[in-house]
Amino acid sequence: MPDFILHTLSLREFGFDYGEGPSHRYNQFMTIEQLSDFLKNRAPYAAYASVALYEQPSMRKGWLKSELVFDVDAKDLPIKICGCSGGAVCEKCLDEARQIASMFAETLRSDLDLRNINFVYSGRGFHIRVNDDAVMTMEQTERTQVVEYVTGSIVPTDMTMALGYSQVFRDRIARIFDRLDEQKLMEIKGMKKALAQQLVKEKDKVMAMMRRGKLQDLHDFSGMGEKTFGQLVDHLMKLNSMLTDGKVTIDTKRILRLPSSLHSGVSMKCVLVRDIEHFSIESAIPKFIREEK
Amino acid sequence: MIAPGYMAILDPFAPEAQNIVRSAPLLDSMPQEIVERAISRVKWKSPKEMMVDANPSAIQSEILSFYLMCQGTAAVSYPYSREVRLVTDATKETIKYRMYELFKRGYEDLCLDVVGRSFKFVQLEHDGGVKLKDIEIPREDYFKLRDKRLAEDGIDIVDDRALPQYVPKYAVRWTDLALLMRYRRVDLTKLYVVHGWVVITPRELWEIFANFIGVKTEEYIASLYERFSESGVPSKLLDSVGQKISALIPPEAELRERFLRVPIGRLRPEFFPPCVKKALGGVGTGVRNYAIAVLLTSFLSYARVSPSGKVATRMADFIGDISIVREEIAPLILEAAEHCNPPLFKDQPQEKANVYYHLGFGMTLEPRLEDSGKSKWYRTPNCSKIQISAPPLCEPDEFCRSRNIKNPLTYYYKRLAEQARPHTGD
Repeated sequence: MPDFILHTLSLREFGFDYGEGPSHRYNQFMTIEQLSDFLKNRAPYAAYASVALYEQPSMRKGWLKSELVFDVDAKDLPIKICGCSGGAVCEKCLDEARQIASMFAETLRSDLDLRNINFVYSGRGFHIRVNDDAVMTMEQTERTQVVEYVTGSIVPTDMTMALGYSQVFRDRIARIFDRLDEQKLMEIKGMKKALAQQLVKEKDKVMAMMRRGKLQDLHDFSGMGEKTFGQLVDHLMKLNSMLTDGKVTIDTKRILRLPSSLHSGVSMKCVLVRDIEHFSIESAIPKFIREEK
Repeated sequence: MIAPGYMAILDPFAPEAQNIVRSAPLLDSMPQEIVERAISRVKWKSPKEMMVDANPSAIQSEILSFYLMCQGTAAVSYPYSREVRLVTDATKETIKYRMYELFKRGYEDLCLDVVGRSFKFVQLEHDGGVKLKDIEIPREDYFKLRDKRLAEDGIDIVDDRALPQYVPKYAVRWTDLALLMRYRRVDLTKLYVVHGWVVITPRELWEIFANFIGVKTEEYIASLYERFSESGVPSKLLDSVGQKISALIPPEAELRERFLRVPIGRLRPEFFPPCVKKALGGVGTGVRNYAIAVLLTSFLSYARVSPSGKVATRMADFIGDISIVREEIAPLILEAAEHCNPPLFKDQPQEKANVYYHLGFGMTLEPRLEDSGKSKWYRTPNCSKIQISAPPLCEPDEFCRSRNIKNPLTYYYKRLAEQARPHTGD
């Protein structure tokens, strides 16, 4: 179990799943031994711990602070380049989720100067769990603003600044645009087939425009009127906002799957990821599955 | 050289100001000049009114009048009401003006000393390029930030005295702006953030600080309101100051506000707090009487009749037609009572008269407008009282917790205000 949970164990609320979801809540453990005994004796399907620290976790009272969390779920990615249907997860989906988690963490580090950033493989994706004190006392509205910043889901006041949110936004929309094919572009209201084809054909050029903050140059494409342009940008921002489940970030009383526990639905371990760039799914395969192989 | 005590006029919550408050005269013997200043300060416009001489007597008068203004407002208004907004906006403008003025007069260090108590900040360095600690700020960005600020103020040409206020000069930690983000006074995506530092001009620094004091004033008045609700009727002086401040709200602003926040005659149940929603659905024995006769009666009447948040002793001060009580408020209460298990008025019919008693019409089943004021129009109980008197009603949701809600009406007004408030800052 990661230190950031171990060291605050008695301040967290624990929840367990006995077959009906994590509905058995309001549990508190003073020591790791107590938790261990409980798990051995009661053998729940799954274990969860709160992102919040409380004075009285067993009553969910006396909120002290909460981790800042981003949930990047591979099954819920807005664009699946692998062709997986919604809800399914393949290696490519998982790697895409890993890249997104890594990208978010880079913004949290370089722009927002957050240092205590942990990654957890949840069994279906990744949790970014930030434990810097300066953000842990933040409330919903502040957390909403952090999500908007990190995902690039608001148009910046100046698109051309070299640093700051302007740069984050440009990178994010260029990246998500890169993942759209003609068919997906056609889902945008008012998008004509010819324009969609042209945009895909000149994808590198379009992405370069976005990265340089020259979005207005997109008007040079035939058929790109003001309305279609607006719809395109809105669509890209919406897709960006779906890269993570914002509800998880702003919910300061959320319980998350406990690292080191088993995801019973997929038979994978929920594990702390020490190096997100070189994460291997192998590290999350439980012993009993390995032995079966 | 300005005395250190002068800091209090820039930050009325600073220790220097607290010291002045501690040695303040009793309310009964408050000098008339301070009382008048407490009222007039919400409409200050000229520099002469806003600036304060650097002598102890002037500083004392300034601080005491600030606190009297806040307490008077809390005595007659709910948190987040238009009175509170008038007071906080005026405070913000005053602090901002003082910052600008002192900066221009060469007292930058004094301003920075005050700001430094609330925000960690650094000055940008000009060493060949522009540097923020070890980070090079691109020159293009530097000038764009300046031009953006000038454009926001609609300025094309600036003189040498004004220009320094528009040039990026400082950086504050973004995490120090959390309170302002919470109240949507700043938006993170509109800030220029580099390695955790927000690069800003002096003008922005003063604005951020003035906004910060404005928000703290808002929170202070909210806390006073809770305190007054616990301790009963506030003093006559506070009531009088509050009423006079309330009367200063321009009628057109009042009208606009009412349209903006609650269409007349319409309650917004979607913004009701969880305890009220629960009470409306009916509750069991043990908490029925409290839920219906105390909580719902006071909450629905204030929310419907005084949507702007103003407190009064008589409902007739707000309405000219008793049908609002009979046809709009009472049916909701009666319906909730019917939903109780067992229905409240079936086995306790006398409680129906108690409802009108709590609405201020005395013990009656047929309320008339002229009876308004016969009994006390009960204020909505604080959350702490509900927790003690009817614990099952109190199941705080995220909004209760995140906004540190202490009264159900505060919840309602705050949600209305947040819905009406523009997404971005001012």
